[in-house]
Amino acid sequence: MERALSEKPNAEKVSQSGVAGIVLDGHYLPPPVDKDGKQWVRTSALILRPPSELYELWRDVEKAPLWQEQITEVRVTGPKTSHWIMLTGDDSGKSIEWDSEVLNDEPDKGIAWSSVEGDSNNAGEVIFATAPGERGTIVTVLQEFRMSKLASAWETLTGRNPKQVIIENLRHFKALAETGEIPRIEGQPHGPRRTTGKAKKSLYGETIATPTGGQRTAG
Amino acid sequence: MKAVCWMGTSDVQTLTVEDPAILNPHDAILKITRTAICGSDLHLYDGFIPTMESGDILGHEFMGIVEDVGREVTNLQRGDRVVVPFTIACGDCIFCTKKIWSACDNTNPNAHLMEAAYGYSGSGLFGYSHMMGGYAGGQAQYVRVPFANVGPLKIESDLPDEKVLFLSDRVHGRRKRSDSRR
Repeated sequence: MERALSEKPNAEKVSQSGVAGIVLDGHYLPPPVDKDGKQWVRTSALILRPPSELYELWRDVEKAPLWQEQITEVRVTGPKTSHWIMLTGDDSGKSIEWDSEVLNDEPDKGIAWSSVEGDSNNAGEVIFATAPGERGTIVTVLQEFRMSKLASAWETLTGRNPKQVIIENLRHFKALAETGEIPRIEGQPHGPRRTTGKAKKSLYGETIATPTGGQRTAG
Repeated sequence: MKAVCWMGTSDVQTLTVEDPAILNPHDAILKITRTAICGSDLHLYDGFIPTMESGDILGHEFMGIVEDVGREVTNLQRGDRVVVPFTIACGDCIFCTKKIWSACDNTNPNAHLMEAAYGYSGSGLFGYSHMMGGYAGGQAQYVRVPFANVGPLKIESDLPDEKVLFLSDRVHGRRKRSDSRR
């Protein structure tokens, strides 16, 4: 019980009190790093839809910008390859581009991929497993990155580090698959934010645009 | 529109802000006819709830007339009189199918903040801190109601507002699973 209460379900222990705790509360710590310098992230979600439907939504990579944060465009370049364009997570407005290749493709079961060339060195796998008791599908995502620790720490402070991006993206994927939209508060009215309110917007991750889910109605 | 904004501990002001807009296909916009101050608004007023920020619009007990609906809203139309429950629920996740609306998996855009505090995120709430979703509340002239197929309870009798308003702190209108899935 003690362990369950001190742990986020898909992340590390809740940060301790003190200055570091205040800065990091509401953020995820940078991902763990292997001996060879590889950062890795693993997360999962229970989604109340059949594996086949989830596989199709995930495999349709040109639709990824609808539910993945910061991804602005994905172009299919071959049966197994695609070209990805992504805003960097640090709120600077710069983009990075890379090519990605599907390494293993098992319909309704899972997909594995890796970047082949470009600005991002990443690889990942998603597994769709039927959950017991008619509870839909357990979706597990494992992703690996090679990026400098400094860049990862910087993104932790200013926006989303790779780990949080993966966790948030799976949350968006779940919401889109189950409800057909992604919950959002961007664009709603509010009074003047004052200085601390503006500063904390980044801390809350509210500077990162919520993906539209593809069905946004003009307001 | 005019809205009641939390501007800091013991500092609540009625200010002019932008009108709400439909942001998602399951959204509805209400013109508020009655709204109440809850005992739990005092926790916000006294500054005990973390992640309240200046400018947040308060109010989670409200009712009104439907002014506009998103294109996936099927059971409400312009002119309907509704009471809206405090908890925002999607109607499609495992908790909603068991009617555990306040544990909804899909309505809190800031779920990571609630995870940090509680270990697991519950549903989004109206006007009750960024941790609870950061949704603008209903102590205002208009409010945006997300997932409007699920929460709002239609009042088709001639009961006066004062007799039904307080259902907003408790009751969920929806009784069966949404058919609005992809």
